[in-house]
Amino acid sequence: MTDNTHQPSARTWLRNSVLAAVVGVLGLAFTSLSGASAVAAEAEGAHDKAPKPIFDLTDAARIEAGKNRFNKVCAAYCHGIEGAGGRAPDFKGRTDLSVEETYNTIFHGRTTSDVMPAWGEAYSAEQIWELVAYIQYLGTQ
Amino acid sequence: MKMSASKSFGALPVTALAASAVLAAFLAAPAAAQSGPGYEDPNNWPQYHRTGNAWRFSPLKQINRDNVKKLKVAWIHQPGNITHGLQATPIEIDGVLYYVSANNNVWAINSATGETMWNYAPKLDKIVSQVFYGAASRGVTVGRGKVFLGTLDGRFIAIDQKTGKELWSTQLTDPKNQYGALFSAPPQLAGNVLFGGTTGGDQPISGKIYAVNADTGKPVWTFDVIKNDPKSWPGESGKVGGGSAWMPGTYDAASDTIFIGTSNAAPDYYNYDRKGDNLYTATLLALDPKTGKVKWHRQEVPHDSWDYDSAYEALVVKKDGKDVIVHLNKGGFVFVMDKKDGKLENVWQFAENVNWVKGIDPKTGALIDPVYPEIDKTKTFCPNLLGARSWNHGAYNPDTGLWYSHAMEVCNEVVAGKDDPDNLKAVSALSLGIESIKLVAPQGDKPHGRLDARDPLTGKRKWSIRYDMPPLSSVLTTAGGLVFTGDMEGKVFAYDAENGKQLWTFSAGSGLRGGPISYSVGGKQYIVVPTGLGSHAPGFLSGAFPQIKDLPGGAALIAFTLE
Repeated sequence: MTDNTHQPSARTWLRNSVLAAVVGVLGLAFTSLSGASAVAAEAEGAHDKAPKPIFDLTDAARIEAGKNRFNKVCAAYCHGIEGAGGRAPDFKGRTDLSVEETYNTIFHGRTTSDVMPAWGEAYSAEQIWELVAYIQYLGTQ
Repeated sequence: MKMSASKSFGALPVTALAASAVLAAFLAAPAAAQSGPGYEDPNNWPQYHRTGNAWRFSPLKQINRDNVKKLKVAWIHQPGNITHGLQATPIEIDGVLYYVSANNNVWAINSATGETMWNYAPKLDKIVSQVFYGAASRGVTVGRGKVFLGTLDGRFIAIDQKTGKELWSTQLTDPKNQYGALFSAPPQLAGNVLFGGTTGGDQPISGKIYAVNADTGKPVWTFDVIKNDPKSWPGESGKVGGGSAWMPGTYDAASDTIFIGTSNAAPDYYNYDRKGDNLYTATLLALDPKTGKVKWHRQEVPHDSWDYDSAYEALVVKKDGKDVIVHLNKGGFVFVMDKKDGKLENVWQFAENVNWVKGIDPKTGALIDPVYPEIDKTKTFCPNLLGARSWNHGAYNPDTGLWYSHAMEVCNEVVAGKDDPDNLKAVSALSLGIESIKLVAPQGDKPHGRLDARDPLTGKRKWSIRYDMPPLSSVLTTAGGLVFTGDMEGKVFAYDAENGKQLWTFSAGSGLRGGPISYSVGGKQYIVVPTGLGSHAPGFLSGAFPQIKDLPGGAALIAFTLE
C-alpha cells in the first residue's frame, strides 16, 4: 500500500512538530495575543520545517482523489459540499489559505470555539496532500 | 380501537359512567394535582430532566406570566473555555449548582450568588485530541454524596459532592479500538447502579451500555446493543453496526426500570451488508437495573438506513389513567407506548416533511413503503440526518397538558456508498456509508425551525412558533405558566405556555445548546440558562443556513431572577 512508505516519516514529523508546537505555545505565552489568534498562530507557525507538497497540487487526478475523500469525510462530517458548510470560512474563492497551513490543520486538527480532530495518524501524507490539492482548487473557484 | 372502546362504554353501568366522568373532570384540571410524579422536590433541579418522567417541568411559580418581564440577571458564571459551547443541563440541589463545561471541567457553584465552590478537571488521555466528539460534555449526575461524570476518554468518575475530590475512576471503553467511544452524556443513577452509553452510532463499532456500582465504581453489567443474532446481523455486520446509546437514559423508580434509547445502525446509509432488522439499534429499551436484562423493547425503525436514532428522552404521561411513554424518533414520528410493556398506543407524525416512508402504522408500528438509499443514486430524504429535532429535549407542563418541543425542517440529498477502508483508520472516523451528502431545503419551503406545543398523545398542535434557524436549546416549562428556550443567535425567550405569546426576551450574545433549569433558594426562584453555541450540529446545519458561519461561540451560565 502506498501508505507504508509515508507513515513512518509522518510519525517522525509528528514527534518533531509536537516539540515545535510546545515551543511555539511557550513563545506565544509571552505575547499578548487573544486566545483565538494564539490557536491560529500555533497551527500556522509552530513548525520548524514547513511541509512540502510531494506532487503537483494542480494535477487533475490528485484534485479528483481529494474531492472524493473530501465529500465522504470532510464535507459529510462537518465542512459541507465544496466546503460551503461548517464553522470555517468558505473554501471556495479563499486565497489566504497557504498549502502548509492547510496540511498542518488537517494533520494536527484545530481547536477554537469549534473543534476539528487530528487526522495525521489516520491519513498518509499523500492522502492529506490530495485533500490540500482539492481545497486549493476550491480556492480558485 | 374505536369499535372496542364504544362497546365497552356501552356495557358500563350508569354509576361507573358517572364515576369515569368525575375522573375525567379531575384529569382535565391537573392544576389541582400539586403532588405526585413531576412535582417531587419542587425547589430543586436534582436530575437531568428534573424528574424521572423527563418532564423538564418546574413546579415553581414565583416567576409567572404577569411578572416575567421583570426578570434581571442575578449572576453569570464563565468556565473560560468556549470550545463547543455549553451543552449541559445544570443540576441544582439545596443551594449548590453543579455543571460541566468543555473538556469535562466540573463546577460546583453557589446557586444564589454564582461563586465557585470547587472545580474539578480530570486528566484526560491524549487520545481525546483525535476523537470526533471532542470537548462535548452534557452534564453531571448528583446523588449518594457524589457527583458523577462520564468522560471524553471513556471513564465514569465519582467526585465527592462536598469537596470536589475524585473518589473513584473506572475505565469502561477502549477509545483506541472503539473509535474514541466516549461519554458525552452524564451517566444516570438507578438506585446504586450508575449506567450510560457512549458515542459511536455512526462509527464502525459494536455499541454498549455500561453499568457500575455507584459507590465503588466496580462494573456490574454491560449490555450489548448489537444483538447476537445472525438473522438481525448477517455475517460480521454486527461488529461494525454502530448502536450506541449516547443520550442519558431515565430511571422509573415505580417500576424499577431503566429506559434508554439507542442510536441508528451503521454504516448509516449503506445497508447492503446488514440486511435484517438490526436489533437493538433505533430502539427504546426497558432494562432491569440490577442485571441489564431486557424487560421489553420497541424498535422504532427496523433496518434503519437513514440515521434515525431512537436516543431521545422517554417522556412519561398519563393516558386513560395509565402511564405511557411518549418518544420522538429522529425520523419525524412520535411513538406512544404502554410504559409497562411497550405495547403501541399510537404513532403520530411530528415533522412536516417526511418522505422516507408513507407513514407508520399506529397499531403495529410497521413502516409503510419505506424508500431506501441506494448506491450511485442521489435520493432526497426528509428529515435530514440530524433528525426532526436534534437532541435538545422537550418539556411537558401538567397544567396545560402540552408537550413543548423544538423541530427542524431540513432534508438531505444522499448517494449511498461503501466506506473506503482508508477512511475508517482514524479514531474520529464515521461510517456514514455514503459517496456524498448535502443538506437541502424541504420541497416548496425554506429550511426552518419551530417550537411546537402539542398534545403528547395525539400530536394535536395548540400553537407553534417558526424560526429562521432551528433552535438547539432544550426547553423548560414552569408552573408559572411559562416556557423558556433560546435560539442559535443567543436570544433567550419566555413564552406563555397557553398560547405561545412572547413575554420576555434577553440577548445572551451566543446561542443556546444546553438545558435551562429553574430552582428556588433563599425564597427566590431562579431561571438558569446555559449559553454558548456548541456541538457539531451548528456547523453541519450551516450547509442549509449559511448565516450560522457568522455566529460567535461562547460559554456563560446566566442566572435570572426577579429584581
